[in-house]
Amino acid sequence: MNPQLRVLIALQDILLLLRDARDPGQKRVLGKMGLKINKLETLESTKADLERQLSPSILSQYRRAIQRHGRIVAPVIKSVCCQCFVRIPSAIDSAEDRNTSLYRCENCGMYLYWVDK
Amino acid sequence: MKLSEIIIPKRINLNLKSTTKDGVLEELVKLLNLDTHARETVLRTLLAREELGSTGIGKGVAIPHCRSLVVSKVAVAVGRSKAGVSFKSIDKKKAFLFVLIVAPPVGDPPGDYLIALGTVAQGARLLTKDKRFKKIRDIRQFMKLIKELEE
Ligand SMILES: [Zn+2]
Repeated sequence: MNPQLRVLIALQDILLLLRDARDPGQKRVLGKMGLKINKLETLESTKADLERQLSPSILSQYRRAIQRHGRIVAPVIKSVCCQCFVRIPSAIDSAEDRNTSLYRCENCGMYLYWVDK
Repeated sequence: MKLSEIIIPKRINLNLKSTTKDGVLEELVKLLNLDTHARETVLRTLLAREELGSTGIGKGVAIPHCRSLVVSKVAVAVGRSKAGVSFKSIDKKKAFLFVLIVAPPVGDPPGDYLIALGTVAQGARLLTKDKRFKKIRDIRQFMKLIKELEE
């Protein structure tokens, strides 16, 4: 696994967790199940720690992408980019180094992560 | 959606060995049979989720859960600890039954994920309330009891 991709994926999971935790509708549903959500500040510091692990150029791409799309990495499932639903060229889709090198979707610019490789 | 429909027998461990919360999470994630990187990612996200508040919902049940980019469909794993594990649960009592749910990031609001969580929370509490739960010896008996309680 590419180390920068690893950090980006971890960050995206944390961002999603933060978004879910801040959603009043979800909070209400979870509360009824006995699940309380608080201490969001711990998560903010985990996020900051991860951001510090990104190279300056990827960090600025990350900030732009998050602002624009809310995410920076798109999963590839069945050869399709799950952000824009465009098919990944087969030379890339079958490359030996997918997930170990950084690839971006030629259509939407998301970094790509092949799920269930 | 029924609990018996989302639980796969090969993802059940009725003899969890861990005595700590982190250890239980590790054992549960192992049942999902992910590659090393995906396993580490899910574990880290689950630990981050626990920092927001324990997923121990009381009555001996914990439902650790998260959404992660590294899975393509909702994955569920079940663990039972005979001795029980302190999970910082809402009722401050030990948890004996653990149902892990990991869902992909798709869906906003994440309907299927929340429905799965609700199904699990309800079904798991029924299980731990039943006197037969602690006596279950194998996965076949476990699945049979779930189905019985669902009827
Ligand atoms: Zn794309």
